[in-house]
Amino acid sequence: MFEPDEELIARVVQQLRRPVTVDSGLDARVMAQVGRFPAHRVGGTARAAWRWLTRPRMVRLSPLGGLAIAAAFAIVALARPDRYSRTAPAGEREFGFVVVAPRAATVSLVGDFNDWDAARTPMQRAGKQASVWTAVLPLTPGRYRYAFLVDGVSWLADPAAPAARDDEFGTPSSVVTVGGS
Amino acid sequence: MTVYWRRLGSGLVAATLVAGTAAAQRPDPRLERLDSITRPVVAALVDSARAAALPTEPLVQRALEGATKRATADRIVAAVRGLALDLGHARHALGPTASPPELTAAAAALRAGAPAATLTELRRVRRASLIVPLAVLTDLVASGVPVDSAAAAVLSLAANARDTDLVEFRRAVERDIALGAPPASATAAAVANAAVQVNAGARQQRPGRP
Repeated sequence: MFEPDEELIARVVQQLRRPVTVDSGLDARVMAQVGRFPAHRVGGTARAAWRWLTRPRMVRLSPLGGLAIAAAFAIVALARPDRYSRTAPAGEREFGFVVVAPRAATVSLVGDFNDWDAARTPMQRAGKQASVWTAVLPLTPGRYRYAFLVDGVSWLADPAAPAARDDEFGTPSSVVTVGGS
Repeated sequence: MTVYWRRLGSGLVAATLVAGTAAAQRPDPRLERLDSITRPVVAALVDSARAAALPTEPLVQRALEGATKRATADRIVAAVRGLALDLGHARHALGPTASPPELTAAAAALRAGAPAATLTELRRVRRASLIVPLAVLTDLVASGVPVDSAAAAVLSLAANARDTDLVEFRRAVERDIALGAPPASATAAAVANAAVQVNAGARQQRPGRP
């Protein structure tokens, strides 16, 4: 059953193992045929597109059309979604404020940096039952007066900061200075 | 047709000028927090400062501080007026190129008793911002250091010291005072120490030298 196939395979192998002689002019003839094909230009489409894009054209535009295009650009520029978002000014640095107020229910940080608005910067307890209150604010270079407002009625100066010298309003204030170097 | 366009153009220009003037004269809405007696006086002071090219934000903040602290009208007006005067003197001492924060710091220094000549000299010797040197000068005086000693100390350091050097100098003086040193002596000792540090820092920063 298997003998004839083996004989066939043996003959095929013998044919395949027979040395083949190649004409010495084969290479030259193949290259001549290849040379007849049209040359393929790499990047030809891109070059054509570039030529199309850079070719000078004359555009006719009425003054009204020009104004309309300018207005469209202006509208796009003014209607950017980030226009009213706050960008950090150069030199802005974060400052941490800390005060100890054991019996306080609320503590606010108020000063030149938040229009002296007690609602703007409420301080946070450092822990659930902690008596330490903290707040962090970004400040640009300058000198700021500030104070802590405890329970909406008592003013405290910052014991860790220089005192404001001119307390015309009868309550203590402190000073923080933000430098640039 | 030409007359029509001319009239329309003139009308638009006039409307723009009127609107611009009205916007410029509109008082700062934050001043609504002041009572009806204080508000117009403070608004007038702010307008005068603006006309004199002085920064108005410190004036508004001082008025708001008074309002939040429930100060009386006359106290608020006096504080704002005094600050406006100090800002004017600060501008005179530092020159027209001073920034608003520098003028604010200079006004505080003048209020603390620093001579205007010291401010002018600071401007001359220091190319960097004067905010911190002026603040250190003010804080030293507030700590009890005699004005002359404080001014001489800051002037001696201002030319080369960085802001951080000056703040560290102020802390050193305050620390020594808290430990019982006389303010003038504490200042002199801190100046000597700071000068060494500043010079060492300057040598380290100089590029291309061992």
